[in-house]
Amino acid sequence: MAMHAAAQETLCALRREIARIEGVPPERLTGGGAKTPDALDDTAVLVRRDGRGLPDGDLLPVGVEPLDTLLGGGLPLAALTEIHAQTARASGVAAGFALALGVALLSQTPDKRLPLLWLGTAEVFSEAGFPYAAGLHRAYGISPTQLLFAEAPKLSDALWIGEEAARLPDLAGVILELRGNPRMLDLTATRRLHRRARAAGRPVFLLRQSAEPTPTAAPVRLRVEPAPATLRQTLTGPLQGSLGPPGLLLTVDKSRAARPGTFTLEWNPHERRLQARTFPKQSTVPGPVVSPPANGSDLAPPFGQVMDHPANWRRAAGG
Amino acid sequence: MVSRREDNAQRIAALDGTAEQRNIRLGMGIAEARAMHPDLEVTEEDPDADRRLLEALADWCDRYTPLVAVDRPDGLYLDITGCAHLFGGEAALMDDALRRLADQGFNVRAGLASTPGAAYALARFHSGAIVSAGDEADALAPFPLAALRLPPPVRQGLESVGLRRVGAVLAAPRAPLARRFGPRLLQRLDQAVGAVEEAITPRQPVPALSVERRFFEPIGGTEEIEQLVGTLSNTLQPALAQRGEGATALELALFRVDGEVFRLRVRSARPLRDPRLMQLLYREKLATVGETLDPGYGFDLVRLSVLFAQPYAEIQSDLIAEPGDEATTVALLVDRVEARLGHQVVVHPVLKASHIPERAVVHVPGVAEATMDPTEVGPPSLDAFSRPVRLLRRPEPVDVTAEVPEGPPAHFRWRRMHHRITRAEGPERLAPEWWHDPQARTRDYFRVEDRDGHRYWLFREGLYGGERSLFDLQKEDEAAPLEGDAPPPLQPRWYVHGIFA
Repeated sequence: MAMHAAAQETLCALRREIARIEGVPPERLTGGGAKTPDALDDTAVLVRRDGRGLPDGDLLPVGVEPLDTLLGGGLPLAALTEIHAQTARASGVAAGFALALGVALLSQTPDKRLPLLWLGTAEVFSEAGFPYAAGLHRAYGISPTQLLFAEAPKLSDALWIGEEAARLPDLAGVILELRGNPRMLDLTATRRLHRRARAAGRPVFLLRQSAEPTPTAAPVRLRVEPAPATLRQTLTGPLQGSLGPPGLLLTVDKSRAARPGTFTLEWNPHERRLQARTFPKQSTVPGPVVSPPANGSDLAPPFGQVMDHPANWRRAAGG
Repeated sequence: MVSRREDNAQRIAALDGTAEQRNIRLGMGIAEARAMHPDLEVTEEDPDADRRLLEALADWCDRYTPLVAVDRPDGLYLDITGCAHLFGGEAALMDDALRRLADQGFNVRAGLASTPGAAYALARFHSGAIVSAGDEADALAPFPLAALRLPPPVRQGLESVGLRRVGAVLAAPRAPLARRFGPRLLQRLDQAVGAVEEAITPRQPVPALSVERRFFEPIGGTEEIEQLVGTLSNTLQPALAQRGEGATALELALFRVDGEVFRLRVRSARPLRDPRLMQLLYREKLATVGETLDPGYGFDLVRLSVLFAQPYAEIQSDLIAEPGDEATTVALLVDRVEARLGHQVVVHPVLKASHIPERAVVHVPGVAEATMDPTEVGPPSLDAFSRPVRLLRRPEPVDVTAEVPEGPPAHFRWRRMHHRITRAEGPERLAPEWWHDPQARTRDYFRVEDRDGHRYWLFREGLYGGERSLFDLQKEDEAAPLEGDAPPPLQPRWYVHGIFA
């Protein structure tokens, strides 16, 4: 028996080592014992002795391949995920990232009518602004009927609502937004949220403004910073001085694979997904694609160029 | 003794038995009374306190009947139709009420009759009497006119012609009385003898259903109350089932031994029938009122009433599948949050047809109708980035430097932070909705990005060179004949209104 235990220990250490080299969460390694999904077992965040893993359905792919690979297939679906923004100003970007995850979540849920609960303390919403459903609808295509907002007067109330909401399988997901490093939000509080999310099989995104990273029960912690937006793409190429798809800098702070990584992502509103930022290549064909007319008006000027000026009109009218 | 200011003089408004024995009468001047008895104790009248006391007493009287009306300044009407048998008969009910109120230190009188008018007279001139229907005229005959609830001028008029007893007025021919003293007198007479129906106005809406429990040993613990809610709602369930309804508003009334009454109300978005869910809602409610609910020596009567009920849709459960667990639905969560933290905590957004950003979305408490299809809202706009993901509660003023007055801003200072703008898109001009707010001014919105990549939604309110709102134009129209110099135009101001993703 003792021999057996020692062998298990060695096997476990080896598996951990392989996982570290391959950058895959240890429990996602195939082989070993029976693969019985056991969503309620909290030890799933640790290296399993029998090599049991989570079923593949329990992942939420972000949609950006290198990031998903680093995270071992995506974010854990039935879990707490922390998303940090360093300032209140950056909470717009952090909210944008959480919403992108929300969109992925809503498209993954079989019943499209499950609402997404966005919950925060009054302090957070007065500091960084209340979620604006018209903007969410335009940029993320989230219908207002799928949104529920809750504004708790105090942190303890927000945590209570969060814990109660995390238990509900009837919600697509919960975004819990808090500010700073309150003492109440310790390892125990995050563990409570995490356990409930596991039990319900729905994710809880803990969005934290101006917070220092502290010990947390969340298996994944991400840090979001703003990145300058790219230019708008038009038919004649990028439009100078315009603000195109919003960019964000995502740092994986903590994950099961324990591999750090930084990604520049941007939101693609047409395909409704996050994508890694790519810089559009210059057109390989020099000059205009269409040949200039032999006799007639000139080619249309590039978009945004001032065609005429009110001063000219006045001159024309006077002369 | 209580004094009241009347016709520029302090007069006696109320007095106790001792003062009465010393030959002091109501309406006597305070100076006069002091001259007779220098050791009088006089207190200024406090009508508000009196009213509050009367309301509290009315609350307490809820234990006898749900129909309690306040008769200012010093009376209560209790409609005990159908309630008397619960207390062992009418006489027993009256005795019980008188005894309990006397124990609390009140000097009370009561009369029981089948009309409010007769009961009023009995309570004041023959306490403890019970008059059955039809005998009112005989019973009231010996009483003075004060028993009839008449306005003072009418009463004085009647007394001046020698009609000093109710009996005399009743016997007098009706037509001349009406001609001389108005229809009010006849109405009061008819109401007293029961010829005309008179309804009392109950203070509280009468609940559709209520169940209660009395205790010989008062209870006080929060857990006990919570368990009791479960027991009471168990009793309530068959009655609700029989009516085919579910409760949408519940009230738990806790009658404390010393007469204080606490009322705890919870509401539910959907009709409720399950005792477990009712208990769950009250658990949240009790958790919040925990400190304010002082049980003192305990509660001796607890009543759970259904204030509002709605038809309850029976759902046939599947034979094989597990019965649906209502305790896990979002609607119940919303109800529980509301019971604990109040209304307006959980909201859902509804888009409105308005181009003013803050009017384009309204937040409605509760969960959106499940029947609504998400696709009904229509596809998102082509310009996906023109609206922010977060909107500030109200636009916050910022200091802005712009290269050209009409152009996009170059720097701005917001919340003591300086932001250098690298790129700006705009302006998007939003004309004011003058039909809502005539003072509103034009806004020019800019999307800007600072050096770190934060994106904000700024707007300039007002136009350079002076913009006149509808309100200003109306004022100018009024002042037009003067042709005076117009007030200097308001300078445009800058605000930050939202944060982009």
